[in-house]
Amino acid sequence: MRLSGTQVSDPKNERALIARIRAGDESAMSDLYDRYSGIVYGVALRVLGNTMAAEDVLQEVFLQLWRNPQAFDAERGRLAPWLAVIARNRSIDVLRKRPMEEDIDELPISTGVNLEDEASERMAIDKVRGVLAQLPPDQRKTLEMAYFEGMTHTEIASKTGEPLGTVKTRIRYGLLALRKAFS
Amino acid sequence: MTQHAQYADALALYALGALDDQRELAELQAHLGTCGECRRELEALRADAALLALSAVGPQPPQRSRERLMRAIEAEPRREMRPKSRVVLGRLRSRWLSFAPITVALLLVMISAALVLENYRLRNRNVRLNAQISTEVQNSAHARAVLEVLNSQTTQKMVLVAAKERPQPQVKTIYEEEKGRVLLLASNLAPLPADKVYELWLLPASGAAPMPAGIFKPDANGNSMMLQTMGSDSIAAKGFAITIENSGGSQTPTSPIVFAPAG
Repeated sequence: MRLSGTQVSDPKNERALIARIRAGDESAMSDLYDRYSGIVYGVALRVLGNTMAAEDVLQEVFLQLWRNPQAFDAERGRLAPWLAVIARNRSIDVLRKRPMEEDIDELPISTGVNLEDEASERMAIDKVRGVLAQLPPDQRKTLEMAYFEGMTHTEIASKTGEPLGTVKTRIRYGLLALRKAFS
Repeated sequence: MTQHAQYADALALYALGALDDQRELAELQAHLGTCGECRRELEALRADAALLALSAVGPQPPQRSRERLMRAIEAEPRREMRPKSRVVLGRLRSRWLSFAPITVALLLVMISAALVLENYRLRNRNVRLNAQISTEVQNSAHARAVLEVLNSQTTQKMVLVAAKERPQPQVKTIYEEEKGRVLLLASNLAPLPADKVYELWLLPASGAAPMPAGIFKPDANGNSMMLQTMGSDSIAAKGFAITIENSGGSQTPTSPIVFAPAG
């Protein structure tokens, strides 16, 4: 995860950053953007496949965090996965032409993944890509259709012609493969 | 998850927002309301799903995005920067200063009590909602079972009549005025030519003209079932009647009534 910038994203720094944003410090927002715009933009671009639309989601996600920094609880999770989930969900909303919510209400995500420096981030990215590459192609495609295309299991089954049960199991085992790689 | 393996696949879908089977969704949500183990698994699955985002990292946004965001932030209504805490002790009289810890303690007690009450209220609300969901799920399952029996091609439908009498055609209507829905159950109906159908009419209590309430044809045994939504505001009915109409139905009755309200 190129979180842009040289600062590491350890929990202590995240808490300090969010505290500055809550206090109305615009320079904190600039730091936050430098650290996390890469992941937000990357996810949005992957979902939407359009740079202008991805830039709009990037803008929306950071602006909402500026307006409502209380939405993120640093005690319960880490910023990077939380922003990634928000970026994914907002992008799916755009893709499906659903109105965006005013507030960011996703729960904090608590992963045990070490993202505290660039080397760790690079390793984590490589590991995720490695896990996905080792999944059977059908399973990887199913997982990506659900996550990056926002398709429901019924839609995936209809599109691929696979039984519903197969789609469900592929998604679960795909997620568990990721968990196992990082456990 | 070992004790709740039946929810394992649905939980993974739910974590991605990909579960769209409404029955399964309702059951899972009801279960999550009472099962901490599954809630923890859901949280873990969400974290697993978040890892997927890492595979998309790579492209960087253009510089203009940064400038656009910072311009937007500057244009937002300004939030007060909290001043650094700086207590000027010299401006406080010592006797007021001595009350400060007590005041703070009292405030903390009041806030704690309010939080405890709020927590209690939310827990009660949660319990009530879970109970409602469970009841809805049970009601839905019961209604589905009834409909399955009624609709099944393999069930045996029998009408019991007084001994030594020929079975008579019979139609029952069950009308839910508030939702404008009528359920029709018919038996021993005479067969119709291919170009004819039975048409049900709602007879408004106001005395207005009969309103079409659905068309139906009996099966080979003379049985039929129809659930029809009238699609308009609730209409008080004094009864229902049935005529025989051309295939496709009619907006007004064109033939004599073959079934009328009993009594």
